[in-house]
Amino acid sequence: MKETARTTRKKWVLPACAAGVALLLAAGAYFFAMRGPDDSLELADNATMGVLPGIDLAQRQAELQALLDESMIAFSINTSPVFASGSSEGNLMLENPENNAKLLVVEIYRDDTGEMIYQSKALPVGSYIENVALDKVLDPGEYPATAYFKGYREDDHSYIGQAGAAINISVLS
Amino acid sequence: MKKKMLISALAVMLVAGVLMSGSYAAASDGIVGYAVEAYQDEDIPIGSSNEVTMVGTVEPTIMSVTMPTYVPFHISRSVQGDNKVISPRINIINNSSIPVSLDVVYTAVDLSRLPGAAWAIGPVVDSNQIAIGLQPESLANQMPTTLEQTRWLVDNMAQNVNIISLSAYDSSAIYVVGTLGSAVPENESFTVTPTFVVREA
Repeated sequence: MKETARTTRKKWVLPACAAGVALLLAAGAYFFAMRGPDDSLELADNATMGVLPGIDLAQRQAELQALLDESMIAFSINTSPVFASGSSEGNLMLENPENNAKLLVVEIYRDDTGEMIYQSKALPVGSYIENVALDKVLDPGEYPATAYFKGYREDDHSYIGQAGAAINISVLS
Repeated sequence: MKKKMLISALAVMLVAGVLMSGSYAAASDGIVGYAVEAYQDEDIPIGSSNEVTMVGTVEPTIMSVTMPTYVPFHISRSVQGDNKVISPRINIINNSSIPVSLDVVYTAVDLSRLPGAAWAIGPVVDSNQIAIGLQPESLANQMPTTLEQTRWLVDNMAQNVNIISLSAYDSSAIYVVGTLGSAVPENESFTVTPTFVVREA
């Protein structure tokens, strides 16, 4: 009985020793591979992992495109609004379309004098103003003018930028 | 007395009936009252003449566009080709039924953060000069590499440069292009703010 147990133990000793030696060899190989260079070169602790910003042209263009998309403005206006008199309402037909995602303030300047003759309050997204009275009373006649649509962010009301539209104002009497 | 009252009641009922039948006829046609009045509908005897009033309304011309309020861009001497600007694709959309043109009427330029640098109307620049302009897209979705067909921006004074014209319900793209001299300082920003104005073409 004792002899049988000794034989069984002997059977397991050899594979266990072989496995231990293999494990030691593997650990040695790992530490050999992972050891640093022999010199004392230190790695920069202020280095950021990744590609230097600005190197990738397509990435830079994509960043600029995102900025541009925020700056795009959509609007509608009547190119030839008519006012029955200098103090009456006319069909200016200003629109801040639904897809704009920004508030719009409209300012209209006469081309000949540069004088501001109309300033709206902020138009919410998806709204329009059909008829308005100008802030300045104009004599009967034709007035080439430029309407500037100023865009503001909806969340903090910060200014984005402006775009203009050339119009011709008619005052009948 | 009773007879009189009966006759009066009948007269009232008759008038009410006539009025109700008229309004029913208008409503059943789906036409509102003023429209009924606006049209003449009567038989004309053969050989006679009749005047027909035609009412026309001139619809206002609405200009509806999508365009940029500012244009961010980068410029670098390391960019290959004559054009040294990295520009986004600026898509201008005409949502209206009339042709429109897009002009630049003024360009505010601030080079104060680039000591010694000056503005130029390209394409030729001195060593300390920068020139920026706008160019219509010639190859789909590709930034221009040359400076041909560039509309150059003039700094801080009124100008009227046509950038692009669009047919009704059309869209097209433009790019910022430009160049700079070898002595222009790098790693600093400057601002170029063109004012775009769209007008009926």
